[in-house]
This record gives sequence, C-alpha cells and structure tokens, in this order.
Amino acid sequence: MQWMALFRKEITEYWRNKKWIWVPLVFILLAIIDPVSNYYLPQILESVGGLPDGTVIELPDFAPAEVVMMSLGQLSSLGVLVITLMSMATIAGERRSGVSELILVKPVAYRNYITAKWAALLALVWASLLIGMLASWYYINILYGELSLHSILLVIIFYGFWLTLVVSVSIFYNTLFKTPGIVAFLTIATIILMSIVTQIFSHVLVWSPNNLTMYLMEMVQTGSISSDLVWTAIVTIIISIGLLIAAIIALKKKELAN
Amino acid sequence: MTLLTVNKLSKSYDGKNVVKDVSFEFHNGKCIALIGPNGAGKTTILRTLAGLLKPSAGTIQFSNMKEKDDIRKYIGYLPQYPVFYTWMTGMEFMIYSGRLSYLSEAEAKKRAETLLEKVGIIDAKDRKIGKYSGGMKQRLGIAQAIIHKPKLLMLDEPVSSLDPIGRREVLTLMKELKEEMTILFSTHILSDAEEVSDELLLLNKGEIVESGSMVELRKKYQTSIIKLEFQGDLAKYQEPINALASVANSSIERDVLQVSVSDIAEARQEILTYVLKEGCPLTSFTLDRASLEDMFMKVVTG
Repeated sequence: MQWMALFRKEITEYWRNKKWIWVPLVFILLAIIDPVSNYYLPQILESVGGLPDGTVIELPDFAPAEVVMMSLGQLSSLGVLVITLMSMATIAGERRSGVSELILVKPVAYRNYITAKWAALLALVWASLLIGMLASWYYINILYGELSLHSILLVIIFYGFWLTLVVSVSIFYNTLFKTPGIVAFLTIATIILMSIVTQIFSHVLVWSPNNLTMYLMEMVQTGSISSDLVWTAIVTIIISIGLLIAAIIALKKKELAN
Repeated sequence: MTLLTVNKLSKSYDGKNVVKDVSFEFHNGKCIALIGPNGAGKTTILRTLAGLLKPSAGTIQFSNMKEKDDIRKYIGYLPQYPVFYTWMTGMEFMIYSGRLSYLSEAEAKKRAETLLEKVGIIDAKDRKIGKYSGGMKQRLGIAQAIIHKPKLLMLDEPVSSLDPIGRREVLTLMKELKEEMTILFSTHILSDAEEVSDELLLLNKGEIVESGSMVELRKKYQTSIIKLEFQGDLAKYQEPINALASVANSSIERDVLQVSVSDIAEARQEILTYVLKEGCPLTSFTLDRASLEDMFMKVVTG
C-alpha cells in the first residue's frame, strides 16, 4: 500500500537520524526536571554554598497534581519548541532540496503524502510524550505521593491532543512555505497568538485548545473528567483535522517546482 | 501511433511568458530531443509535462488515457539535478519508488534488481546514496524513473553534468531504452542529440522554431560547402579556386579550405578539373553535411 510505504519511510528515516533516541530523551528530561529539582531544592541550595545561619525558607509541599502540571508546563514550552524544530523540514525541506521532484512525479496521492508524514510525526511525538510522562509519574510517586496510573494515562491522552495540534499546525505551514525556518517561526507564532487570543476572549473561547492544560489540572485534582475538558479535546481534534485537510488542498494547488 | 499530444501549451511566470503556444505530438517508440539554448524553456516544458508545473494555458493529452486519470502513472521523469534521500541505499530508494508507483513489495524488489543490473550499479545497491558518484546518481535516477514501466521517459539534461565516460554510458543506456519506450530528453549538447534521437524539437525563447526528423532536417538545412585539404600551403590555392564561376566565396579554417558554392554538382566538376589540370596535391575532398550545430545557429540566431 502506498500510504504504508510513505509512513514506513518516515519511521525509518527517524531511526537513521536518531530521532527515535533523542526526542524521547529530551521529553524525559523535560518531564522530570521540575519534579526532581523541586524536591531536591534544599539539598541543591546546601551544596552550592548554603544560606546564612538562621535563614528560614518555607518551601511549599507540592501535591502530585501540581507536579504533573509542572512537567506539562515544560513540555508546553520547550517540548513544543522541540516538536516544531523537528518537524519544520518534513515537507518544506524535501521541496527545498528538490527530492520532492522525484517523489511527487510518481503517482503519489497528496493526501497519502501528507497524512503519512503527519502520522509518522505523531507516532514519534506520542511515544515520546508517553515515555516522558511515565518517567515523571515514576518520580512523582517516589518523591511526592500517590498518583494513579489511570490519571497519568488520562493526562497523557488529553495532552497528546494538544501536541497533535502543534504537529498539524507545523504540517500546514510546511505545505505553504519552502523554508524550514519560516515554518518553525510561523508555527510558534501561531501558538503564541492562539494563547493571547484565548486569554483576551476567555469568556467566549471556553473550549480553546490552549485551555486544555487548565482543565487537565482540574481533572487531576478532582479525579473527574469535566465536560469542558472533553469539548476542548474535541475542538482541538477538529482544528487539527481541518489543518490537515487545508494542507492537502494547499499542496494540490502548489506548483512543486520553480 | 500518437502517444502524447500537446496543444498550445503556455507557461508564464509573473507575466513573463517562458513557454509560448507550444504544440507538438509524440509517436510511440521514438526518441525525441528537445534542443535549445539556456533559458529557452526546455526544463519548463518537461516539468509541465511531468505535472510539477501547471500550464497557464493549453492541454496535454495522452492517448488511451481515461478521463481524470493520473498522468503521472504514464511518465518517468529525471530532473537535471536529481536529489535523493542520501540516507537510503540505492536498493531502498528503488523499492520505495516502486511502492509509490503501486507495485507490490515483491514486484518492486524484482524490478529494482533488474534495473540496477541494467544501469550497471547493482554492485552498489546496498551502499548509501550519499556515497554515490555523480554518474552513479544519474544512473540511479534513470533506473528509478522507469521502475513503473512508463510510456514516456523524460530526461532533463541527462548527460551534461557527467564526465566523458559517464556520458558515454548514459547515452548507450538511452539507446537501449528507446527500444522499450518513448524518450524525450533535453540537451544543449548537439552531438548527443544527433547520436541518439530520431526527432528534434528546436526551442528558442519559449517557442518551437523547428521540428522534424533528423533526416528531414538534414535535407532542409543542407549547406553547399565543399571542404578541401591540400598538402603544403593552402593559401596559394584559395585565389584560383575563388575565381571559379560556381564558387561564391571561401575561407581557411585550420588546415581546411571551406568553399561555399552555388551549385554542388557544378562546383565539384570545376574544382576537380582545376585540381587535375594544375596537378595540385589534394589530400581530401568532402561534401559537407549540415551539422546540427549549423542548423541550430541558423535557427536560433536567425
């Protein structure tokens, strides 16, 4: 099947250029850095020279739910940056280098070309998210207290939708522009803009994808999935699919050579 | 049988016409050379036929093609500077190309083996493409373009970037391939076109300025030049030959006296009579055939 051939090529490429190793490692690092560093903060302060005698610092005791959010916070900033940089050349780079001149003169369906790349990126991103958040969960359980596997898996699934949207935005810009740097810039700019718009119109945009983490925190604290969370997830998925369709149409209309 | 009909094809960028109202048709099993100076629109035509560019006007029609059928199934295309995935091996790229053209894994593999053998890089099939030489890449490029047995193979400047050995190999390969499919290739190296093609399309400034079979064009552009070589100093024969009635003028190029004449048969008679009478040490007498280059210059510079 043509789609599988395209998908398998991407997955193989990620092996050969070691993305399957460094992306999960970066996600693990980002996910555990806050849980670990916050727990060991007193020891860290001690070892870098200590504080004058008599100094009293009250360090808050974090609840597991708060620590999960710290991990997500890192992924939302640096994790998103990593995804953007990793995906910025997936189509744009091929068009820029000219290899797409060989590939797209074959009877390749544009929807296969784009969805296969999208799916391969998602496989990598979801796997990295899963591994990273499980690592974070491991430390949370040791250092901060009990958090059920059930809730961490729900966190991973819902947060995965947000990262899916990030990948979709990147794929969309990949079909519009040939320069990977521009793709990366616009992807990040779009996400920042979305967050600003969500904050300004917060009373209307209740289900904006940017609110996903907020509802996730509620979910971890209360232990129940709110309808707002579900609707936000649905909106996120719909926007992702919409971007994917737009990308296919854009590529169809594009001239693939100069 | 007609394979492809191109009707009034035009392509413009930012209001500038790169290809203007080009019409032609190809017949099955021919090898057609697209010749023209740099910037004549050769690559644009090939890319448009390959579907990489969309025509501004005009139609491209394959015979026997169903409505809405994907034109790309019937063509193989090799760009001037093919770029591959350097991390793949030659074999992997071939199989990938085959799979994209709807061959099964097994078919793709079998066909890849055959073609890599044919183009002569079977020994390097498991080497990374990044380590291939220019000639090997070009041959891999041809092999991947024909993996799905296209009806029309299009090659953009297939030999211009190669060294003489690579060039010879690719030309020989093209001669073999033309038994199996129609080939359209662009070049500005005229001797290559002369060597492998049956038909020519001469392009200048986006327009077809001349076309036809090699034989027809030769006849049409037959020059009336006789080339003479003598032992010793040429210059002393130039004057008396110039004086002959049928000779228009003459020039010396290297060691050859080139004589333009009005009537070949008459001039031959006169020149040979003169040579015999004077007892000149003639070493070579040639009736010049129109070279493609003369034709090209004539058509392009007007």
